[in-house]
Amino acid sequence: MPAALILALLAAIGWLAWRGDETGAPAAGVASGAGQPQGPQFFGQVEGRPAPPLPSERARQRQQLVELWTLADHTYCSYREGSMYPAGSRPMSQNPDQVYPNQPVTETNAMRGEDRKGNPNILLQTSQSRVYLAAGESVAFSLRAVEPNGNVIPLVVTRAIAAGIVTTGTRSTTQVPLAFADDGSGADPVAGDGAFAGVLTPAQTGLAGFHGTIRTEVRYTAAGKNGVLIFDVIYSPKVPATWVGTPREALEDGSLAFILRADVRQPGRYVVTGRIDDAKGRPFALATFNEVLGPGPNDIRLIVFGKLMVDGAPALPLRLRDVDGYLLKENADPDRELMPRLEGPVLTSRTQSMKGVSDAEFNSEERTRYLTEFAKDRKGAAASLANFDPSLPVPPSACGPVK
Amino acid sequence: MNKVLQMVLAVCLMAVSSFAAAANYTLWVNGRTGGGVVGNYDSWNYWGPGTTAAGVNKKSVNWDGRSSVASQSGKIRDALDCFCTGNNWCYVVTHSAGDLIMGYTMANYGGSARVKKNATANSSGVCGDSDGSAQTGWNIKWVRAASGAGGGSELSDVGSWTTSEPLVQDLKTTTARAMYNHNTTRSVWFYMYAGAKGTAYSGVLPGQDDEAVAYHSTGGVSGSSGGSYCNPSDWLCNDLTLGTAANEGGSLKWSYHSVSFRDDSEAYNHYANGNWGGIVGVVRSAVVNSAL
Repeated sequence: MPAALILALLAAIGWLAWRGDETGAPAAGVASGAGQPQGPQFFGQVEGRPAPPLPSERARQRQQLVELWTLADHTYCSYREGSMYPAGSRPMSQNPDQVYPNQPVTETNAMRGEDRKGNPNILLQTSQSRVYLAAGESVAFSLRAVEPNGNVIPLVVTRAIAAGIVTTGTRSTTQVPLAFADDGSGADPVAGDGAFAGVLTPAQTGLAGFHGTIRTEVRYTAAGKNGVLIFDVIYSPKVPATWVGTPREALEDGSLAFILRADVRQPGRYVVTGRIDDAKGRPFALATFNEVLGPGPNDIRLIVFGKLMVDGAPALPLRLRDVDGYLLKENADPDRELMPRLEGPVLTSRTQSMKGVSDAEFNSEERTRYLTEFAKDRKGAAASLANFDPSLPVPPSACGPVK
Repeated sequence: MNKVLQMVLAVCLMAVSSFAAAANYTLWVNGRTGGGVVGNYDSWNYWGPGTTAAGVNKKSVNWDGRSSVASQSGKIRDALDCFCTGNNWCYVVTHSAGDLIMGYTMANYGGSARVKKNATANSSGVCGDSDGSAQTGWNIKWVRAASGAGGGSELSDVGSWTTSEPLVQDLKTTTARAMYNHNTTRSVWFYMYAGAKGTAYSGVLPGQDDEAVAYHSTGGVSGSSGGSYCNPSDWLCNDLTLGTAANEGGSLKWSYHSVSFRDDSEAYNHYANGNWGGIVGVVRSAVVNSAL
């Protein structure tokens, strides 16, 4: 493209030099009219020009231009709509799997033996209460075998061992035996229902100082067959920052900010996420903080963007709950150290009205940059399509005419 | 040379220098095993012959395909800094775990300050600064994911005991899905291409799969764990829908994830086979037509 542009510009310069400078203005008109269709259309080849594509080929080419237009239009329109709110303050409807981060992760898979093959006649229902574990936290595991029709199959846990995964050649970690039971105690809510549960608390074991993936291997027997199952959790034994003070709120630049104070022991990039419900308990927004923090006290702002409040019209007051965060370490494995989790309600806003809440769209250099580029692409795609066959209309845009 | 001609020349030279600095690039991010020379953006070993068309100004973004995505994310950031800052824009194509590492990079670093680069890389894949200024995030027009493993693969759930490849640990379904917020793409679309020519691991991979990754991941289905999704011809399993629509059964896709291709004829497996094969070939065709 740059090479073609350079050639075109050099040709224009040469042409200007040849013709002199006295008739500059009309020349632009001549040049601009050069690409316009001229005269009637003929099916036969015009001497000196390449043969036009066959009708089917021409239809295919136009279809491709239509697809490019559709893609460019969709890219522009969806970006314009999606970026009305900042990346750190989004509707909860756009984050369906982030609503309840502390609910157990459940799976149902075919039972697997040592041969790695699945047995579709025996399904294993499993759950684990967490995947990432902060210092001092516990994780509960459970498993139950069922037939495809849902009937419970008696199961016996024969061995359950947890250990840290280490790289090959590295000294192995302590192995921690876990007790799984179906007696209605501990992590097992119902006795005798065929579901066996066990709890791992790394801080109370020889894995207290281990940072990384702890794998729990559970061996069991169901319907006379031996099975093996693994649960992985990623444990973070150190606390990089602690919560201090009382959370507060403020109306800042037309948005509602939930402000939490952290005492940062280890500086770096912190990613903190909080969930905001409306007064009726309906999940409303997901707020994410992602910035570099220095050592010492720092305010972490979880923002409910003003326009998001205006558009969503939530029942006030809003409530912040379930805040989790971590220090993100670049190019490291493990890549994070978890802050203490704030589980459940954190702060109920005192804001009872929309007074002072802005309905302005989010704006930033990033947004302007993207919209400028995508608008240029959209305009170019529309022009290419229109020029290819001026007799056919450009399909309508999803978000208004091209400017 | 008269005055007007001098002015025209000056304007043209400015325009040339400005336009010459703006280009579109097509970045290809590999999956597990790797194969290309890390840091060499012209090393196409993972994908196929480097002479094959694969989008405008194609660049092979190689990472080792074995280490954790966290430890290798810097390689992706280097490439994005190189070719997707300043006046340059990128189309990004991923295969398998390339989806996981791209999603991780976007979600965690997509809003970070990036120093604008000049698209000229050293042997480590790091480019020189352009004008010393910075911008927020990268310039990315869209991402196309061939057999995206952002949701993990059940093949990793049957891993070995206490030593295993770090990337395989990352690809455990529960881990991959908890690793970052997959909905955070900064309004950039991930177009998903899901293959279904898989039989070898049908007892392990739920629903339709391409022999390595199942539809729940290749179709960008949201959730903290996987699930069983199929083609419409399978009446015993919920359909993976095209586009952004909720799947049969009601499950949703991650935001800004759209299924562009579902392998209804079960014709495409997971593997490029060093010749742009399998589901990679389907994506390549789409890229050639749209990464201009």
